[in-house]
Amino acid sequence: MNGLSFFQNVFAPPRDLILIVLAAWLGLTLSERRATRHRVNLDSLSNILLVGVSGFILGGRILYALENLASFAQSPSSIFSINTSLFDPWGGLAIAALSALAYGQHIHLPFWKSLDALTPFFAALAIGIACSHLAAGTAFGKETNVPWAIDQWGALRHPTQIYEIIASLLILALILIQKPNPTAGYEFLLFVALTSASRLLIEGLRGDSTLILGGLRAAQITAWFILFATFIGWEYKIRQEHREE
Amino acid sequence: MQPILRRSLYAIALLAGLVWIFASADKTNSATAGHIPAPQKGFLAPEFKLDTFDGQTVALTDYRGTAVLVNLWATWCPPCRAEMPTLEKVYEEYKDQGLVVLGVDATNQDNPDAIAPFEKQYHITFPILLDTNGEASTLYELRSLPTSFFVGRDGVIREVVVGGPMSEALLRTNIEEIIK
Repeated sequence: MNGLSFFQNVFAPPRDLILIVLAAWLGLTLSERRATRHRVNLDSLSNILLVGVSGFILGGRILYALENLASFAQSPSSIFSINTSLFDPWGGLAIAALSALAYGQHIHLPFWKSLDALTPFFAALAIGIACSHLAAGTAFGKETNVPWAIDQWGALRHPTQIYEIIASLLILALILIQKPNPTAGYEFLLFVALTSASRLLIEGLRGDSTLILGGLRAAQITAWFILFATFIGWEYKIRQEHREE
Repeated sequence: MQPILRRSLYAIALLAGLVWIFASADKTNSATAGHIPAPQKGFLAPEFKLDTFDGQTVALTDYRGTAVLVNLWATWCPPCRAEMPTLEKVYEEYKDQGLVVLGVDATNQDNPDAIAPFEKQYHITFPILLDTNGEASTLYELRSLPTSFFVGRDGVIREVVVGGPMSEALLRTNIEEIIK
């Protein structure tokens, strides 16, 4: 048994979720260390994360139940089921963002500085998600003959999950070595730009992409627009700073 | 960094992104894996041929054109036992709409004498197949019990649920998808 098979056996679903939880814990620790640099109150940061995570879990389940109302109407107790499949991750993410934003405004947390402090958490979480993809064999690559191809799902494929892990590790390292930047939001925007650029690149080698408009990959187009928006956001922040000076 | 240099870098990055989007586009739809058999969502369900208690041989291909739920289980596995009544309930409800449930007992890691009493205890009416040599378990890369594969009428796996017990809503949601 090679190292990859061993890893996939140890963290086979649903145990792959352990990797995400571990990454979240590591990310939280890193973010707490960064909080003082960005002059964000440590307790407020922990609270906003708690609100966000609760929003994600509850929102993801409730939205999934609403999307499949007919199934849940016949067995309402399923809303409390331990099945992780009964979950809308994008809906959960939206609810998490909205609830964290509302809570942040309520306790007057500085928006961009808080995002900067939370950036190591997001970056570490991305590593955990990539590791969970590798363990579960999801987010797999397209068929290839490159010497480093891995045998997966009946073909030799690009190890896109490993590319994803390497990219997210590099992004976290880059975030951590950043010197303090006076522009609030710099670290967060850097993280978003690098993450969308890496997604844009790696998605092109994936074998499970959602295709639109005659073969274009939906995730790449989304990543491109996010990258574009990040550049606009960055320019806006620089101009705002100049105006203030 | 000078604004002109910074904006040039943005433009280069965005242009390179656009070029890559079009260069890596999958015009032949080859990225989808519906023609390769593998135990993963989006792939063709691997073919198996197993015996039932009464000596009949059942092949997965016999059910091509039908929505199939392949449930791998064992008598000693508590979540498998817990989900059996729900599985039987939804099978009864959906069988007239074209749903077939194949309960594949991982016999190679089960007590064969316990299977018949189990079937009787839970009033199971869907076919129970005996994976005596572990053929199906190997093909479906079984790592946890129970594991369920929801296979569409085209033979492609639409959802994989690892672990259990599956709730009624989860079963209904996935069955509704495959019987379409």
